[in-house]
Amino acid sequence: MAAAGLWRRLCQGSAFPVNYASRIMGRQCFLPNNDLMGVRLARSYVDTQEHKSNPLVSISDEPETLYKRLSLLVKGHDKTVLDSYEYFAVLAAKELGISVEKVHRPPKKIERFTLLKSVHIYKKHRVQYEMRTHYVCLELKHLTGSTAAVYLEYVQRNLPEGVAMEVKKTKIETIPEHIQKPVCDTLPQAEETQVKS
Amino acid sequence: MAAPVAARALRAVPWSRSCVPAALGARRDLHATPACLKTRAARVRVGKGDKPVTYEKAHAPHYIAHRKGWLSLHTGNLAGEAGAAERTVEDVFLRKFLYGTFPGCLANEVVLKRRANLLVVCLVLVQSLAPSKLYFLIGYAETLLSHFYKCPVRLEVQTVPTKVIYKYL
Repeated sequence: MAAAGLWRRLCQGSAFPVNYASRIMGRQCFLPNNDLMGVRLARSYVDTQEHKSNPLVSISDEPETLYKRLSLLVKGHDKTVLDSYEYFAVLAAKELGISVEKVHRPPKKIERFTLLKSVHIYKKHRVQYEMRTHYVCLELKHLTGSTAAVYLEYVQRNLPEGVAMEVKKTKIETIPEHIQKPVCDTLPQAEETQVKS
Repeated sequence: MAAPVAARALRAVPWSRSCVPAALGARRDLHATPACLKTRAARVRVGKGDKPVTYEKAHAPHYIAHRKGWLSLHTGNLAGEAGAAERTVEDVFLRKFLYGTFPGCLANEVVLKRRANLLVVCLVLVQSLAPSKLYFLIGYAETLLSHFYKCPVRLEVQTVPTKVIYKYL
């Protein structure tokens, strides 16, 4: 309950959409049936009932970490494999209700080198090799820590062979207590007279 | 008569192969490669038509990513990733090991896939051994390689009655 209260306070302060907050309610449970997604009030009731019976779901009182942006950079040698993986990752995000900010393809990087063709002499005859790395960047926004953990685990377990992924998370934190109020308010009035003279 | 007229016309216009009129029958061909160019890498030379060749062997290395795939799939060769040399050494050992474990049975090159910690070895075997012997060899290879490389190794085997011939060279 404390977690839910803290969650509501955070949501009012930040720019999260209202339906997102009411849907998630500070707890994550991976419900396989999607027909309950629309019924918001009933879902919170169902959540509490399901948690008592389902041993896989655990509830903790610590507040959720919030991520402003989750950036997945997927790289591989084969462009078709990357395209199919991007389709899969976007579909998984949509099914879990994660909003995809943008999907863009940074330009490929080609690493080329020229070697001598022969073992001993023949400097004029060389052979050239190249290695191409294609990129696909997936940016997801407004995730909670548990959503991010679930999504990343699912998507990483299904990474095809020969494909690598780099994940960058942008976390949202509350302003530290010592700078919550502007510094000039706390200064004593004597300093103001010194500035005048 | 026609030839000097044609030559004068060609000199007036900036020279390019495309503007040569085909109707005149005059052709200027450019020799871009030296006459004795012979790249021999991973190519089966054309013969009398009696040499059977699989799809993998029939295509030269410049067809990789166009008509051919990769035989060894790992992230070592991607930009910013490490471990390419270790994977290559492992691959060489694996190919030699499998070539020896299944004598005369390999129909095509072995495909190696690395997914996280798991090593998947994909084989296409010719049905020259009895199935019980094949099962034993598969189990033996899996156990030995898992113990050697300290990672789960899975052999995915497909059998085929004879080697699949793509063409005769």
